[in-house]
Amino acid sequence: MQRLLGEAFAQLGRARRIPWVDLLLVVGLAGLLFTFIDIGREWTGVHRPSVAIDLSPAALPRYTLFSLFRGLFAYVISLGFTIVYGYWAAKDRVAGRLLIPLLDILQSIPVLGFMPGLILALVALFPHSNIGLELAAVIMIFTGQAWNMTFSFIHSLRSVPSDLREVATVYRFNWWQRLRNVELPFATMGLVWNSMVSMAGGWFFLMITEAFQLGQRDFRLPGIGSYMSVAVERGRGDAMILAIVAMATMIVLLDQFLWRPVVVWSQKFRVEEGGDQVLMRSWFLDWLRSSRLVRGIRDIAHRLRAAPPRPTKPHLSPAIAADAVRGSVRLSLLALGLLIVVLAWGAWKLVHLLQRVPAVAWGSAAAAGFLTLGRVLLSTALGTLWALPAGLAIGLSSRLSRVLQPVVQIAASFPAPMLFPLVIAALRWAGISLGWGAILLMLLGTQWYILFNVIAGAMALPADLKEAARSYRFTGWARFRALYFPGVFPYLVTGWVTAAGGAWNASIVAEFVTFKGQTLQTPGLGAQISGAAASADFPRLAAAILVMSVLVVAFNRTVWRWCYQLAEERFSLSK
Amino acid sequence: MTREALCEARHVSHDFVLPNGKPLRVLEDISVAVAPNEVVALLGPSGSGKSTVLRILAGLIKPSHGDVLYHGQPLQGLNPGVAIVFQSFALYPWMTVRQNVETVLEVRGVARPEATERAVQAIARVGLGGFEDAYPRELSGGMKQRVGMARALVVDPEILFMDEPFSQVDALTAESLRAEVLDIWSRKERNPSSILMVSHDIREVAFMADRIVVLGGNNPARIRTVVRDELPRPRDYQSTECVALIDQLHGVITGSELPDVAPTAGPRESGFYEPLPRVSPGEITGLLEYLDARGGKGDVFRIATQTNHEFGQLITIVKAAEMLNLVDTPKSAVLLEPDGRRFVQADPEERKAIWRAQLLKLSLFSEIATVLRRQRRHTIDRDFVLETIVLRMPQEDYEKVFETFIGWARFGELFAYDETSGTISTYERRRSAQTKAVSE
Repeated sequence: MQRLLGEAFAQLGRARRIPWVDLLLVVGLAGLLFTFIDIGREWTGVHRPSVAIDLSPAALPRYTLFSLFRGLFAYVISLGFTIVYGYWAAKDRVAGRLLIPLLDILQSIPVLGFMPGLILALVALFPHSNIGLELAAVIMIFTGQAWNMTFSFIHSLRSVPSDLREVATVYRFNWWQRLRNVELPFATMGLVWNSMVSMAGGWFFLMITEAFQLGQRDFRLPGIGSYMSVAVERGRGDAMILAIVAMATMIVLLDQFLWRPVVVWSQKFRVEEGGDQVLMRSWFLDWLRSSRLVRGIRDIAHRLRAAPPRPTKPHLSPAIAADAVRGSVRLSLLALGLLIVVLAWGAWKLVHLLQRVPAVAWGSAAAAGFLTLGRVLLSTALGTLWALPAGLAIGLSSRLSRVLQPVVQIAASFPAPMLFPLVIAALRWAGISLGWGAILLMLLGTQWYILFNVIAGAMALPADLKEAARSYRFTGWARFRALYFPGVFPYLVTGWVTAAGGAWNASIVAEFVTFKGQTLQTPGLGAQISGAAASADFPRLAAAILVMSVLVVAFNRTVWRWCYQLAEERFSLSK
Repeated sequence: MTREALCEARHVSHDFVLPNGKPLRVLEDISVAVAPNEVVALLGPSGSGKSTVLRILAGLIKPSHGDVLYHGQPLQGLNPGVAIVFQSFALYPWMTVRQNVETVLEVRGVARPEATERAVQAIARVGLGGFEDAYPRELSGGMKQRVGMARALVVDPEILFMDEPFSQVDALTAESLRAEVLDIWSRKERNPSSILMVSHDIREVAFMADRIVVLGGNNPARIRTVVRDELPRPRDYQSTECVALIDQLHGVITGSELPDVAPTAGPRESGFYEPLPRVSPGEITGLLEYLDARGGKGDVFRIATQTNHEFGQLITIVKAAEMLNLVDTPKSAVLLEPDGRRFVQADPEERKAIWRAQLLKLSLFSEIATVLRRQRRHTIDRDFVLETIVLRMPQEDYEKVFETFIGWARFGELFAYDETSGTISTYERRRSAQTKAVSE
């Protein structure tokens, strides 16, 4: 439908000789400019102690744009961080030994762990304008986005095929030419895919990052997340629904106008040559490509790039090249030293903070940790129970997967906490306690990861194995046991790991919920973290977050790693 | 040599480091020189370190011992006069043909318009005009290798290095590419002045090279001999001289890889075992069936051509069969031995029995069998076998030998191996375990 529309537009443009495409583009650009001015005014505006959120529908589009801008800004920072940090970690083996485990730890820290320090520091830094608070919100969204992108980039950098690397060496690419011509293109597909996942991860805590309360202080920014949280506080069902619709609209538009075109563009960087893969299309990209305005701009850019004849550099002599290498080693060492100093200082501060935590609190945090672990595992199991058969059904039918895969991806990007109020209302009506209900809330956000991984696995099942199963009359359970389950297992493991990670995060908002002005909570580590943040009890907050990080990292290192190994050794289809 | 060499390796040796940290000598005392205006070929079976020699001369690998010279000067880093054509083409899939060629010029600081012009010329020179804006995935193997050649030629190299350039290209295309490479090279007024190519194809090197450096042996590989090929160009495969040259090369390789003196006699006394060739039992069985169907004898090189094997691979299979006393190899002939004939005509169970009996004549298998018999549960750890291999075959990659060891033992139902627990047991033990499982 959308594609048809796009083609129709394109046809129209060509037939009537009226540059519809260009006109729309100009209107769109003007809108964008206006938004930027508005956002700029908001950022530099005088800092208000508390922002009043207007719950009227007319205010919502503007709030949505504010949130969207924060998400995109955070994404740009994430991308920059990914490239710098990933390059450093992958290229310098010594630094990598510290940087990669550090990334693993950072990944396990929920956003509330970064939040209080960030907000207090940045607000103190910009006491008279909103910049501090805005930046804090952006950085918090960044902490939900960056890590998996960085992991993907490091992995790509390390797996550039050796012949492609050798060409770069033989023809003397310097580090920048190598990055631009070889490494970035090779990493692009993985980076794009992870960017989509990251963007979704960034929205997850929007309600917290835009409407954060630290003890008695209320840090609130205009945005769709704060709109929702105010609506929940006041129990305004109509406003909640409006916010959900606005969020969904934003996600669909982002998908259509940003991610889909980017994915289609990135297909040119694929390395495998399999002829049978169906390539995605994007009506918006086709549409842009048909625009004369865009083509004109590209031509000009091309000519600008070609015009000034660059001075021909003499060949780097070995001595100069060696100097450059030594310089970069020195720089890396310096940066590493700096990082270690900062980490040591942070650890020192943390130890000081933790000294104020009584032994009993540690015990209760550990106990709560296992309770939450139980919920995480239960929600993952429940998700598997429905998502495995459903994913198989969708993935094995080319018709269903074509229609539903994009829908599932969009559903997965929707921040589940925005749906919590509705679910909690339903739970109360059904008389289910939050202790069990929290599992359902976690499931809400994480089941999609299992589902779309299973779909991908089912789609990747080799046709010959499916034919063999059919021709030997494997039916029902036998087919599932012999083919489907082992075949999708590696994908299922990826789904589990992502889902469990998401569930840990979700526990913070699922075990401690504000609903119609009152706070509901159930024992658990997530509730402890939220509670400690709400009462500005920093030592307890730090202790609870430390326990969560340890649990998550330990679980990753043991159970999930074992699953990955099993998947690789026993169930890999590529061997 | 009277002319000054463009590029030269002097008494170069090279070690790889095994996963256990021990060095493995792969090249020993290699001296090769490339003079102006000549085509030098490095010929040898797979695994003889030809590509490593090429990479050492290109400056991609620093040799463990010995010197590499470029125009008489010690080579620092990359060889400035060299461009390489890769076996796997190694084109960037995200760049068009023109961008792939252009990029290597831009990297050298050539301004865009000039780079484009030179790239287009180079593409035309290899006969790909009109394909400038195609992506590599749209091209056939032969066309991709033409892009690889254009990319190498565009930087105007003094010596063109080619690493098995035509082995992933279909036979007919390879034929025309060979002629075209020689055509480009023979225009004396332009670079490349010389070509160094790596190949395992005897006919190919006889057709192309002025000098053929034959490498042989395994861990370490050495230079067996250097053969001059002064036949007039363009050469004719069918000419008597060319046939004679190919025969001569056959002789050199057979003498080096399949010596008529039984290799088992010498090294065993010193506590070292003869290495296991990396061959599957299926390949050995196939060889025996092939011989049986042709009156029990054949010629190594003919068998290689007829079964579509690289001669190095086939020689390894023949060696393995010879180790097991199933064939004999006078010169380049392969004869079925009585045991081999019995094997071919036996039913599967008998085949296993013959295979088992032959395995137990090999030191590694008999040692492990003895140890297993002494164990109370007739089970040993994978690591024990690995250590034995490291100790008895220090010049081998122990993990690969282990794989072969397990493959051969399983085929003869001599030992069983459980991958999950990493244990090796006698087959009797495994059978009893199976029956127990069934009865339960």
